[in-house]
Amino acid sequence: MGINTENNEEIAVEVRNIRKCFKIYADHANQLKDRMLFWKRNRYEERKVLDDISFDVKRGEAVGLIGENGSGKSTTLKLLTKIIYPDSGTIKMNGRVSSLIELGAGFHSDMSGRENIYTNAAIFGLTKKEIDARLEKIIEFSELEEFIDNPVRTYSSGMYMRLAFAVAINVDADILLIDEILAVGDAAFQAKCFNRLREIKAKGTTIVLVSHSMGQIEQLCDRSIWIHEGKIRMEGAPRDVHPHYMDYMADVTERVSEKRKQATEQENEQAGPAAEENTKTTTEEQGDLQRYGNQKAEITSITLNRADKQNCNTLRSGEDAEIVIAYKAHEIIKNASFGIGIFRNDGVQCYGTNTVIDQLQEFDLDGIGTMTIKLEKLGLLQGSYSMDIAIECDQGIPVDYYKNAIQFDVTSRINDVGVMRVEHKWNLETKNG
Amino acid sequence: MSKLFKDIYDYREMIFSLVRRDLRGRYKGTVLGFLWTFVNPLLQLLVYTLVFSYILRMGIDSYYIFLIVALVPWIFFSGTINGGCEVILGASNMVKKIYFPREVLPLAYTLSSFVNMLFSFIVVFAILLFSGQGINFVALLYLPLIMLIEFILALGMALLFSAMTVYLRDLQHILGIVMMAWQFLTPIMYSEDMVPENLRGVWRLNPMTSVITAYRDILYYKQVPHINTLTEAAVLGILLLVIGELVFRRLQRNFAEEL
Repeated sequence: MGINTENNEEIAVEVRNIRKCFKIYADHANQLKDRMLFWKRNRYEERKVLDDISFDVKRGEAVGLIGENGSGKSTTLKLLTKIIYPDSGTIKMNGRVSSLIELGAGFHSDMSGRENIYTNAAIFGLTKKEIDARLEKIIEFSELEEFIDNPVRTYSSGMYMRLAFAVAINVDADILLIDEILAVGDAAFQAKCFNRLREIKAKGTTIVLVSHSMGQIEQLCDRSIWIHEGKIRMEGAPRDVHPHYMDYMADVTERVSEKRKQATEQENEQAGPAAEENTKTTTEEQGDLQRYGNQKAEITSITLNRADKQNCNTLRSGEDAEIVIAYKAHEIIKNASFGIGIFRNDGVQCYGTNTVIDQLQEFDLDGIGTMTIKLEKLGLLQGSYSMDIAIECDQGIPVDYYKNAIQFDVTSRINDVGVMRVEHKWNLETKNG
Repeated sequence: MSKLFKDIYDYREMIFSLVRRDLRGRYKGTVLGFLWTFVNPLLQLLVYTLVFSYILRMGIDSYYIFLIVALVPWIFFSGTINGGCEVILGASNMVKKIYFPREVLPLAYTLSSFVNMLFSFIVVFAILLFSGQGINFVALLYLPLIMLIEFILALGMALLFSAMTVYLRDLQHILGIVMMAWQFLTPIMYSEDMVPENLRGVWRLNPMTSVITAYRDILYYKQVPHINTLTEAAVLGILLLVIGELVFRRLQRNFAEEL
C-alpha cells in the first residue's frame, strides 16, 4: 500500500492541446488519373472535431467521457488508441493499452473459437505464453466451452461478441479504453462485464470510458469530462457534472420536440381546415380505431403545461405539470366522466385513471369547457410517452375516446429506473455493540 | 527507433500468427497445395532455360544452374513487392479499428515470402547436388548473410510500397510492370559482364544487382563473394530499409482516415 501511493500519483494518460480536423472530400481521388487530371476534386471541407483538448488521467483512475453525438468523445478515444493521430498536440500513454472499441477485429470466420482467441489476443500484443496462461479464463468468461472448437461462422452474433469481449477484457492492460460497448449480449452477460470492469479497476487499471449511460459512468468512474463541440465544457466528479449535462440535454430534447411540433402545426395549417378539426383528420389517417365514441361531445384540444412554461411538449420528472383538456358538447351529456392513460413509447401502460376511479361525482357536460388534471411531482421517468384521453358517459359508454391524443417527452436529472417513480425515503439505523 | 523495435518485439506473436496464416492460406484450395512452392520456380526455370539455352543461346555452362540460383531469390523479392504492396489495404478492417504497430503487416508478409524462399531452396540444393555441380561449404557460410541482406532490402520495399498504395491504388498495377522491367534490368538471365562497360555504373545502382551477383558467386561459381559486392548490397539494403520505414512512418498516421 505504502509503495503504491507514489505510483498512484503517476500520470497514465497525458493529453495536451490536441486538435483534429477531418477532411471531408467532395470526391475522393485515389486513382492516379484523378489525382493528375482533377486537382480540383481534391478539394475538401475541413470539419473541426477537436479543438484544443487537454487532460490527464492518473494511474488507476477511471474517467468517463460524455457528450452529445458528434461532440468528439469517440474521436478522442480513437486518438488515445493511436488509430488516428492529432493534427497538433501530444498524447502520452504510459503502459500497455487495450481497447474495447471494435470487438473481434481480425476474427476469421473459418477458424475455431479457440484459434481466434490466439489471433485476436496476438493483435492486442500478447505473446503465445501469455495467451496460453489466459486461455481458460477467456473461455470461461465467454461461456462458450461447448462451442469453442467450432468455427466462428457458426456462432450467433451474441456468442461472437461474448468471445470478442472475453479476449479484450482479459488482456490485462495498464490502460483500458472502452467505447460504448457495455451493450454486449443479454442483461446477465452485461452485468458480468460490468462487474469484471469493476474488478479490473480495483486492480489499479486506468480506464477511459465513453458512454451515454450516466449511470454506468457514475458507478465506475471517478471523474467525468464533458466534451462539447470539440472542447471540454466541464470536468469533475460525475455527480457534479452530470446534472449540468442532463439539463443541457433536456434543453436540446425540448428544442427538437418543439421543432417537431411547429412542423406538424405548419403542416396542419397548410392542410386548411380549422384547428378544431385538425385533430380529427390526423387521427383518422392513423387508423380507424384511433378515435371512437358516439361523438356527442368531442375533445377539441389538449395542452401540457409546466410550472415554468405553458403549452410544451417536454415535462420534467419530479416537477409539477398539468394537462388541460378542452371539450365541446354538441348536446347535453349526462353522467359524464373523463379518463387518461399514459403509455411509454414501447407500449407499456404506465398509468391510467378516470374520474370514476378517483371517486369524483359524475357530472353533466354542456357547451364548451375545460378539464384540468394537475400532476404533482411527476412520477414518470425519462422517456417518450403518449397519452389516451377519453370522455365517457353512463359508466363506460365512450363519447370521445381519443387514443394517442398527445405525445410528449419527459426529461430527468435522476437516474432511477423502471416504469415509474415510487416515492420513497431511505433510513439507516445501526446498532453498535 | 528503439521504441519501434520494442513495439515489434511485443507484437511478435501477431507476426508469427500472420505468417502462419499466410503460409497456410497461400495455396489454400489448390490441388498441388504446398508443392507449388517447388513447382512454380521449376516451371519458370524450364521456360527460361528453353529460351536462353536453345533459342537465344547465351553460351553459359549449365545455364539452368546459373539461372535458378538467381531466379529463386528474385521470385522472393518480386513476390514480396507485388503482394506486399496490398497488405495494408487488405487489412483495412483491422487498421481502422485497432492499434498495433502497422509495420507488423509488411514485416509479416516479407517474412512469409522469405520462409517460402527457404523452402524453394530445397529445390535449388537438390539441383546443385544431383547435377554434379556440388557445393563449396566455405562459400556457403555467406549464404545466410546475403539472404539477410536481401530480406532487409525486400522489407524496405514492402514498407515503402504498402504505405504508398494506400494513397495511390494504381500502384498495384504500376508495380506489376515495374517489376517485370526490373527483372530484365537485373543480371538474372544474363551475367553482369554482359552489361556494356559504360552502363555498369548504372547497373550497380540497382541494389538487386549486387544481391544476385553474391548469390551466384556462392552457388554457381562456388566462391566467396567479393567484399565489395557484399558491402554494396548491405549499404543499399539498409539505406532502402531506412527510407522505407521513414516514408511508412510518415504515411501511416493517416491510414485509418484514408482507408
